[in-house]
Amino acid sequence: MNIIGKTISSALAGAQGPIEAGTGLFTKITEELTGGAAISPEELCTRINRAVTEAQTRLAAAADADEVEAVRIALMGRNGLFQALSKVIADVPKEAKREVGKAFNCGRAQAQKWLDEAGLRIERAADASESIDVTLPGRMRTVGHKHPINIIVDDCVEIFRRMGFVVASGPEIETVRNNFDQLNTPADHPSRDRGDTFYFADGRILRTQTSPVQIRTMESHEPPVRIVAPGRVFRRDTPDATHGMNFHQIEGLYIDRNVSMADLKSVLQSFAWEMYGKEVKIRLRPHFFPFTEPSVEYDFSCMMCKGKGCPVCKQSGYIEIAGAGMVDPNVLRNVGYDPAIWSGFAFGMGIERLAMLRYRIGDIRYLYENDVRFLEQF
Amino acid sequence: MIISRNWLKKYVALNCPVEELCEKLTAAGIEVEAVEKLGSVPAGVISAKILERTKHPDSDHLSVCKVTDGSNTLQIVCGAPNCDAGNIVPLATIGTKFHTEEGDFTIKKGKIRGVESFGMMCSEKELGISENHEGLMLLPENTALGRPLGELLEEDYRLELEVTPNRPDWLSHWGIARDVSCLLNEEAHLPVVELEEKTATVEGLVTVSAPDLCIRYIGRVIDNVKVCDSPKWMKDALQAVGIRPINNIVDITNFVQMELGQPMHCFDLAKLAGGHVIVRRAMPGESIVTLDAGRKVELNSDNLVIADDEKPVALAGVIGGEFSGVDRNTTSILLESAVFQSSNIRATSRKSGISTDSSYRYERGVDYDMAEFASRRAAQLILELAGGQQRCAPVDVNSGRPEEKTIVCRFERIRALLGTGVANGRIVEIFRKLHLKVADVTDESCVVTCPLFRLDLEREADLAEEVVRIDGLDTVPLIAVAAKSVAPICEDAIYTEQKLRDQLVALGLFECMHYSMVGAKSALSDTRFTEKDLVRLDNPLSGELAYLRPSLFGEMLATVERNISRRNLDFSFFELGRVFCGNAGKHPEERMELCLMMSGRRAPEQYGHALAQSYDFYDLKGAIESLFRKRRYANWSIEPATDGRFIPGCTAVVKLDGKEIGFLGELPTELTQTWRTPYKVFGAVLDADALLAGKTRSDLYKGFSLFPASTRDVAFVAESSLTNAAVLEFIRRLKLPNLESAALFDIFSDEKVLGAGRKSMAYKLTFRRSDGTLTDAEANKVYETLRKALAEKLHVELR
Repeated sequence: MNIIGKTISSALAGAQGPIEAGTGLFTKITEELTGGAAISPEELCTRINRAVTEAQTRLAAAADADEVEAVRIALMGRNGLFQALSKVIADVPKEAKREVGKAFNCGRAQAQKWLDEAGLRIERAADASESIDVTLPGRMRTVGHKHPINIIVDDCVEIFRRMGFVVASGPEIETVRNNFDQLNTPADHPSRDRGDTFYFADGRILRTQTSPVQIRTMESHEPPVRIVAPGRVFRRDTPDATHGMNFHQIEGLYIDRNVSMADLKSVLQSFAWEMYGKEVKIRLRPHFFPFTEPSVEYDFSCMMCKGKGCPVCKQSGYIEIAGAGMVDPNVLRNVGYDPAIWSGFAFGMGIERLAMLRYRIGDIRYLYENDVRFLEQF
Repeated sequence: MIISRNWLKKYVALNCPVEELCEKLTAAGIEVEAVEKLGSVPAGVISAKILERTKHPDSDHLSVCKVTDGSNTLQIVCGAPNCDAGNIVPLATIGTKFHTEEGDFTIKKGKIRGVESFGMMCSEKELGISENHEGLMLLPENTALGRPLGELLEEDYRLELEVTPNRPDWLSHWGIARDVSCLLNEEAHLPVVELEEKTATVEGLVTVSAPDLCIRYIGRVIDNVKVCDSPKWMKDALQAVGIRPINNIVDITNFVQMELGQPMHCFDLAKLAGGHVIVRRAMPGESIVTLDAGRKVELNSDNLVIADDEKPVALAGVIGGEFSGVDRNTTSILLESAVFQSSNIRATSRKSGISTDSSYRYERGVDYDMAEFASRRAAQLILELAGGQQRCAPVDVNSGRPEEKTIVCRFERIRALLGTGVANGRIVEIFRKLHLKVADVTDESCVVTCPLFRLDLEREADLAEEVVRIDGLDTVPLIAVAAKSVAPICEDAIYTEQKLRDQLVALGLFECMHYSMVGAKSALSDTRFTEKDLVRLDNPLSGELAYLRPSLFGEMLATVERNISRRNLDFSFFELGRVFCGNAGKHPEERMELCLMMSGRRAPEQYGHALAQSYDFYDLKGAIESLFRKRRYANWSIEPATDGRFIPGCTAVVKLDGKEIGFLGELPTELTQTWRTPYKVFGAVLDADALLAGKTRSDLYKGFSLFPASTRDVAFVAESSLTNAAVLEFIRRLKLPNLESAALFDIFSDEKVLGAGRKSMAYKLTFRRSDGTLTDAEANKVYETLRKALAEKLHVELR
């Protein structure tokens, strides 16, 4: 209704002349009504009906919006038929008023309906004649792309936040104390070698793992502690398809009363489900790390072959993810927690590895080349 | 660590297939990294019985045999001396493929000197089982006929194990057998050693002058040995684990090391000046030429050596010297079985760059008790395989047996740590099967005495690991994960950083990531820094990558150049990352930075006019403005500036809360001229810590007027130097009533029309009241005030 109204009014604005032309009948009826001659109620009803019928014929034949608008003005306009009728009806004898009023209302409603229908018909016809090549390219909104490493970091952090872990962080230039000593790493452990770890002249290092964040957190917070720490770590590896000078890890630490390996296994299993889907199973294997005891390596059942065996999992059905374990009593003692009261677990995983598994990226170096054609895929 | 399955079987019965064995080892923490089948028999070789042997009509040494595979009888021509009727032998049937060093061949039906032959009966050598080629391989009398030989023979497998550094006791077949016995529920047995010891003693055979580094040294002298090749079984055993046989004496030392985990060494006694050994620290200036590659190693007092009267003859625990080793002329030997201090051996090995099977074991720690047994075991084998006699009783120089550690094991504590319900009895059973001594067992606890081969066991947690390792981590149950919060989420360290990154991505930028290590050129391409500002690594991977990035600028330039060289010309990049500064006066050591770079076409997917549009300064500036608006910063501006990284006339400084937090601009030609792109490149570097800390406007809801606005346009001609910011600031300061906004809608300069150095600017002004409809008269009044002010105070020419 609104649309038609608008169309009509706009048509009216520029085409006053032609509208007058095709409305003779209405003008005649209107003039008779306003001329002062008395008309019987029956005649009045007849004329209303005739006018409506006429309107229908004309509107059915109308070829454009101007013609429809002319009819509308003649019927509904300020000087139109129904406006004139409404004045005449005021003089109709009381006993006939009801019938005439009914004819008036029905007639006006009917006329409005024909007007609406005609307007809609003409608009549709106009729409139907419009045509564009919809296969031309759209004007795209530029949509950015997050780096796949950060997509994985965000996903991991989100999953662990849901389990109540809070994100902690620490500096990348670390002390030997936080990176090794406090984590129960023997003084002559090979990982401390200058061939494996980047050193600075002042004796500090680039952290080789996110684990020093554990130390920083525990030394500044009373237990319980429930954190994850994503971040960049550094190993003195010559870059190749699976190694880089730096990569990213996410570390988890939970210290509380009565934390057991069952808690560790369940948190890792929940993570696997959320990250890779409900069918992914977790497998723990005993291992050794200086900072945990018992220590495990954990595998996820292969998400490519669902554990049946494929080239990605080297036919084993499982993919090695990373290490975990129950925090070594020495580490707890080092940060001033009493291992007789507190126990807990820690785990770590490599973000690049998770990203490469998720997206089947064959070479870690692609992640640091930043080719547009690579980045736009994520 | 490589072991052979058949060798392992000498100590423990393996009642399962090799696949299952591997699975069990891996599940118990001895990860099997690879399994290799050794010396496999070709398919097509079956067991067959010789029924009849007749002489070949046309040859003296060939026989014609009738052979059955149980269902068919075949005629085979054979040259072996033992192809007698009744023997069951391997038969290579027609079609069997052999892969030999001389090349591949296939058994075919053939005629040998006129007699047809339908296959080949084989010797052990022909099957690759051994070197024996004296006759056909004979199978036991009760062997089923027609069966593939591969099934009948117990083939050997080589298992490659990853042994974690805390478990040196796994670096031998015996050590693995001990765990396997526990996993398979079989008893493990040490080899039986029966050795008659002499009682006579010889003084001065072994002197230990560095007892801190040499914990135990057992020496034996054996005279009249005959050095020759080892017997086949010994060679086979060593070859199965990848060790090259040398001679019987050397082979025995290697064999015992692989069997018991105790490194052994043999000296040719005749080559030792003074006929004895001294275990001492090397003296300054001493050196030794090693046995392996004849390398000369310079020594100092940190190195423990075995010396004779004149010189070091071995680098203790690492490698022997070139001139003291056993050779084919050796008759008297000194057999060493020793325990050295592990960290000293590790340091020597690392410093000298020599790593041997021996140093590998000493570094991790060898068993004090095993040194003695291994010495006897080796002596027994030498007497057996090389003959000779012991000269005297063994010399055992030691500083006393280390004390065994005892651990109180509280069963409940084990269960609490593991989260399993493992029973007390099972815990004790596991300890005993692992050869740990268990005493004082009560309902609550037991006392575990850890043998000297298990120095890794120190605490209850270590015992818990043993329990779960043997019972399997599968026994640890999955329980419901509580979404437990022990600290408020507002302590979350990266939340704000993640949000900033998300906002940058929402602006249509592509996120990049670069290495933290950079070369000097990349580092200093950001002209804010000089070499003394850089953080330098002491041991970089290469001179080229010696610095930690002081800025994201250099590597982003490299990424831009890389993309352009790959014809990716349209991009808008950002990186949000840590940068480092070694000059505390300039920046903190670690901080977060944001770098943006963009170039190319705005809408590369478009066509016609839209396609021709490329990024300019205002696209980059707009990205920053959008970001700042989204972040609701309260107080910021972008103003004209100069900066060494950008073209002078196209540079702006970004100010936030009154501080300069970065610059943006167009990259200078000297950087971009070699890049094959027609488009300009724009970049920005901003202090991300400042972005994260920027003060924001109130986030309370602010109402807005629902009354209609009226607009007026004002255009004027001004000097070219008049900036948009100056005009807007001028209007703002007029504090005109009901002026809602003023915005530039057109700007142009045309020398012919406006004159040189002049431009036309046009602004749309929007007026609105908050408390009612603004009348035309009211709007006009304000508008006239503004026009007048522009003309009189800003001195522009109204149009």
